[in-house]
Amino acid sequence: MTGWLTSRLLQSLAVLLVMSVAVHGLMALMPGDPIDLMIASDPHLNAADAIRLKALYGLDKPWGERYLAWAGQVMRGELGYSRLFAKPVLQIMGPAIANSLTLMGTALILSLLAALPLGILASRHQGGWADHLVNAISFASVSLPTFWLGLMLMVLFSVKLGWLPAGGMQSLTGDGGGVLDSLRHMALPVATLAIAGIGQYARHTRAAMLNEAAQDYIRTAKAKGCTPRRLVWRHQFRNALLPLVTLLGLEFGNLFSGALITETVFGWPGMGKLIADSVMGNDFNLALTALMLATAMTLLGSVLADLTMARLDPRIKYR
Amino acid sequence: MRRLVALLFGLLLVLTASLPARAKDDLVIGITQFPSTLHPNLDSMMAKTYVLAMTTRPLTAFNAKWQLVCMLCERLPSFDNGQAKREKTPDGKPGVALTFTLRPDLFWGDGVPVTTQDVLFTWEMGKHPQSGVANGEMYRRILAIDVQDDKTFTLHLDRLTFDYNVMNGLTPIPAHLERAAFLADPAQYRVRNGYDQKPAQPGLYNGPYVITQVVAGSHLVLEPNRFWKGSQPAFKRLVVRSVENTAALEAQLLSGGIDMIAGELGLPLEQALALEKRADPRFRIVTKSGLVFEHVDVNLDSPILSDRTLRQALMYGLDRQSMNRQLFDGRQPVADSSVNPLDGIYAADVPKYSYDPAKAAKMLDDAGWKMAGGLRRNAQGQALTLELMTTAGNRSRELVSQVIQAQWRKLGIDVRLKAEAPRVFFAETVTKRRFAHLALYAWISAPESVPRTTLHSTQIPTEANAWAGQNNPGYANPVMDTLLDNIETELDVPERRQLWRQLQHLYATDLPALPLFFRADSYVLPRQLEGLEPTGHQDPSTLWVENWRWRP
Amino acid sequence: MIKPRDLPALVGAVLLVFLAFATLSAPWLAADPEAMNLAAIHAAPSLSHPLGTDELGRDVAARLLNGGRVSLAVALSTALLAAILGTAIGLVAGYRGGWVDAALMRMTDGVMALPLLPLLIVLAALDPAKLGIGDEARSSEIFMVGRMVVIIALVGWTGAARLVRAQTLSVKTRDYVRAATALGATPGRIMVRHILPNVASPMVVAATLSVGNIILVESALSFLGLGVQPPMASWGNMLTGAMNVIWSAPDQALWPGLAIFVTVLAFNLAGDGLQRALDPRR
Repeated sequence: MTGWLTSRLLQSLAVLLVMSVAVHGLMALMPGDPIDLMIASDPHLNAADAIRLKALYGLDKPWGERYLAWAGQVMRGELGYSRLFAKPVLQIMGPAIANSLTLMGTALILSLLAALPLGILASRHQGGWADHLVNAISFASVSLPTFWLGLMLMVLFSVKLGWLPAGGMQSLTGDGGGVLDSLRHMALPVATLAIAGIGQYARHTRAAMLNEAAQDYIRTAKAKGCTPRRLVWRHQFRNALLPLVTLLGLEFGNLFSGALITETVFGWPGMGKLIADSVMGNDFNLALTALMLATAMTLLGSVLADLTMARLDPRIKYR
Repeated sequence: MRRLVALLFGLLLVLTASLPARAKDDLVIGITQFPSTLHPNLDSMMAKTYVLAMTTRPLTAFNAKWQLVCMLCERLPSFDNGQAKREKTPDGKPGVALTFTLRPDLFWGDGVPVTTQDVLFTWEMGKHPQSGVANGEMYRRILAIDVQDDKTFTLHLDRLTFDYNVMNGLTPIPAHLERAAFLADPAQYRVRNGYDQKPAQPGLYNGPYVITQVVAGSHLVLEPNRFWKGSQPAFKRLVVRSVENTAALEAQLLSGGIDMIAGELGLPLEQALALEKRADPRFRIVTKSGLVFEHVDVNLDSPILSDRTLRQALMYGLDRQSMNRQLFDGRQPVADSSVNPLDGIYAADVPKYSYDPAKAAKMLDDAGWKMAGGLRRNAQGQALTLELMTTAGNRSRELVSQVIQAQWRKLGIDVRLKAEAPRVFFAETVTKRRFAHLALYAWISAPESVPRTTLHSTQIPTEANAWAGQNNPGYANPVMDTLLDNIETELDVPERRQLWRQLQHLYATDLPALPLFFRADSYVLPRQLEGLEPTGHQDPSTLWVENWRWRP
Repeated sequence: MIKPRDLPALVGAVLLVFLAFATLSAPWLAADPEAMNLAAIHAAPSLSHPLGTDELGRDVAARLLNGGRVSLAVALSTALLAAILGTAIGLVAGYRGGWVDAALMRMTDGVMALPLLPLLIVLAALDPAKLGIGDEARSSEIFMVGRMVVIIALVGWTGAARLVRAQTLSVKTRDYVRAATALGATPGRIMVRHILPNVASPMVVAATLSVGNIILVESALSFLGLGVQPPMASWGNMLTGAMNVIWSAPDQALWPGLAIFVTVLAFNLAGDGLQRALDPRR
C-alpha cells in the first residue's frame, strides 16, 4: 500500500515537472512580452526605457535560463511576486481559491443533492415516465452553453424580477455584507453551475445503479427477502458510489482551477478569472503557480479517488 | 423529503426578499477593467488613472474645457507672470526654468502637509534606472530641481517647448512614507511600495478621497480624506467595481448593483445607445466625443499602399458619414486628420474626404487598378487584395471593419478581415509592424499634443530601437519631421497655429493613416447626479470628483 | 416498431439530418449572410427576414444557417481529429506497453489535469510566426478555422486515448492476435488490421458524444474573444455579439443559443442511442 502510494505520488511529481516546462514554454511562445504591451499603451516609452525594463524584468535572457531561474526560486520556496498585481503570488491566490471553492463546492453539493435522487429514481423506474423525465433533464442540462444560461438567469431574476443581485460577492452600499447578503449573491452563479452539473451526475448515477442491479448479489439479497428500500440504499447505492467517486476525484482538481465563464459573467473574483488574466497578462509567476496548483490537485484527486475506492471496495487492493 | 422541500422554499423566500433601501450618501461606479497596480508613477493604465484621479493629483491637468489648469500648484508658470524663465541647459541648448508653488492647504491623508520634499523624492525615484518606472521621459526632461522652501520649487527642463508648463505626469508621492522603502532596495520598489503592499494607508493620498479597501479583481472602496481642504466631496463612500463583461455590467446597473457606469471605461457606444432608446427613467446618458482617434494605420512598406493616390481613393470609397449616422446615431464625428475639431488648433480648411465612389473608382483606374470580373487587378494581373486587422472583442471595431469591407468590396477591392486578441494585436502585430496592409485601432491623447511619436521618422519601431516609438505605418517625410520639430518649439500662438494647419493638410493629403472617427465615450449616470463633466481626453472626469453631488 | 427507449435517439438522428440538410443547403435557402443594410438594423421579423436582422442589418436566418455550417464543420473535424490522435496514441500505448505506455499515459494524465480553458487561451494566443508559419498562410480563412480545430483537438484527445488503450489491452491477449503475431505480422499491421476494428465502435460513440462538447467549447472561446472571427458567422460569435444588446434585442441571443442547444442535444441523443445499439451486452 505505502509502496503503491509512493510510486503514484512520485509519478505525479514527474508529470507536474514536465507540465511546468510545457506551460512555461507555451507561455513564452505567446506573442509579445509584458514590455511590448507597455510600449503599445504608452506612446512616450523610448528605446532606452524598453531595454532598461526588459533587463529589470529579466526578459532579456533566453527562455531556458528564465525557466531555470523560476524553478530554482520555487525550489527555495519563493513563489515570487505577481507582475500584474505587484503582490506576493500567495496573497493574490489565497482569496481567489477561497472564492472558487465556495462557489464551486456549493454548486457541486447542490447538483449532487439533486442528481443522486434523480439518478436513483430513474434507475428504479427504468423505461418509465420518471426515467424519461430524468433523461430529458439530464440531456438538457449537459447541452446548455454556460454563459448563455448565466445571462438568461440574470435577465430573469435580476433585471426582470429584481429578486437577486446580478453579480459580485456582496452589496457594496448600505448595510450590505452579512451572511444573508453573501448568500443572495451566490444564488445565481451557484445555480448556473449546479444546473450545468446535474445532468452529468444524474446520468452517471443512473448508469451505476443499473449496473449494480444486474449483479448477482442483488438477486441474492432480493431472494433473501430484503426490503426494496434497504436493497437500494444499503447494497445497490453503496456500490454504485464507486464509479461516482472516480468522477468526483477528477472534479476535485476543477475546484482549484475555477469556473472561468461563470466567474466572468457574474463578476466573481475566483481562480478561473485569475488564471485567465495572468496568462493573458504574461504574469509568469502567478500563472504558473496557479496552473501547477490546479494540475497538482487534479492528480491528487485521482490518487484520493483510488484510495477511497480501496476503502469502499474490499475487492480492490493496491500494492 | 417534505421538510427538505419546505426548507428550500424558505431559503428561496429569504434570498429573494427585496433589496434594502439604498443609503443616499454612497455611490457605486462600474468600470470594465480592474487596476493592476496602484502606484501612480510606475506604469499607465486607464483603470488606475481613473481611480487614482480621486486620490492622488498631478501638478497640472487639462480640464473639461481642454484648458491647462493647476491641480496642486497655485498658479501656472508662464513667461508673462515671470514664473517661467528662458535659460541655457548645461550643454548649451535652449531650456526653461519653471517655478511652482504648491497650494498651502494640501495635506496627505495622515495630516502631513504636501511639500517640495515629496516632489523632489518623486523625481529621484522616477529617474532611478531600477525603480521600474515604465515611462522615464518626464523625469529625464527635468534636469534639476531647486528647492526654494517647503512649498516653492524650480524645475529646470532640458528643452523649451510650447507646452513647457504641462506637468500632467508629475504626481507627487509622500516622501515620509515611501522614501525608506525605495532607498532600502530600489530594484524591488516596484513590488514593495506602499501603494501595492498596504494601499489602505491614508497617508499615501492627497486628493479628496483615500482608498480604504481593495478587493483584487472585484472592487475598491474610497472614503473622504479628512485633511482635504478643498471643496468638500458629497459622498461618504465611493465604490469602484470592475465588471469586464459589458452585458453583465449593464445587468448590474439595471438591477441596482451599481449606480453609474464610467464613460472612460464603460459601455461601447452602441450598447449605451440601445440603453438610451429604452428610456429608463433612472438613468441619463451623456456621450462625449473627444481625443480618442479611431483610425486605420496603413503599412506604407506594402507596395500597393505606398501609392498615395490609392490611399486617397480608399478614403473616397468610405462612407463614414452614414456609418456615424446609422451605427452611432451621429454621436461619433468623422475625423479629417488626427486633430479634433474641438481642439483650438484645428484648421477648418483641411481637405475632407466625403463619400464619392465614382471619384474613388476613377482614381483606382488611373492608378492602374482596372476592374475585371468584379475585382480590380493591376497590369501584372495581381488582384487588389487588402488585409484589415483589428482587435478581437471590441464590438464597435468589429462592426466598423465589416462595414468598411462591404464598402470597399463595392469598389472591387477584396478586403480580408482578421481580428486578433488585443495582447497579440498591440504587443506584436502593430508595434512590430507585422500587419500586411491595414490595422484599425485608436489613440488617446491630450489637447494640442504633438503627434511626434506617431508621425516622426525617428519613431518608426525597429528591432534596433527595441520596437519603441509608435510610427507604425512607417511614415517618413522630411517635411512632416520639420513641422513636428518646429511646432514643438514655436511659442508664438498664431505662428504655431499656422504650422498646425500645414501639418493637418499634409496629414490629410499624405494619409499615413486613414482617419475614421473621434470616438464618443458614453457615461451612464443616475438622473439625480450632477457635477460630472466628461473631459473627452486622457485626464479623467474623476479629477473633479469633489464636484459630484445629488441634485437637491 | 420503434421501442419507446429508442425514441430519443431517433429524435436526435432526425434533428441531425435536418440540421445537415438546412446548413448544407443554406446558399439556396437563405439570403446572402454578409449583405448589409445599415438602414434596417435590428429589424423585427418580416417576410424577407424571417428572424429579423442583426446589428448591421444582415439577415439573421441566413447567418444562423451559414454560422451553423461553420460551427458544425469545426465541431465535426475537431471530433474526428481528436479521435484519430487519441486512437493512435491509445493504440501505441496499449500495444507496446512498458515504458512507451507509461510515458504516453502520464502525458495523457498531465494534459487531462491541466485546466481546459486557460490551456486553450494559451494555445489560441500562440504566435504562428514563432512556429515558422508564413504570413501568406496565416491570413487565409481556412487557416483561421483550421487553427481552432487543431487547438481544440490538441487538448481533446485524452479521453479517446484512454478508451482505446483499455480496449487494446483486452484485445491484444486474444488468440487471433497472438496467432497473427506468431505468423510474423508486423506490429503496424496487427494494430490496423486486428485491433483497430475492435476499438472502432466505442470510438464512434465517444466521438459523436464529443461533438456536442466541442460546440460548447467553441462558443465559450468565442465568448472570450478567441473563437471564429467575423465576418464569418459561427453560432458562438453570433451569440457573443448578441450578448451586448441582450437588453434591447433579446431574441438576437435566443436564436443562436437555441441552435447550439438543439444541436448539442441532438448529438448527445444520437450518441447515446448509438452507444446502446453497439453495446454487445445488450
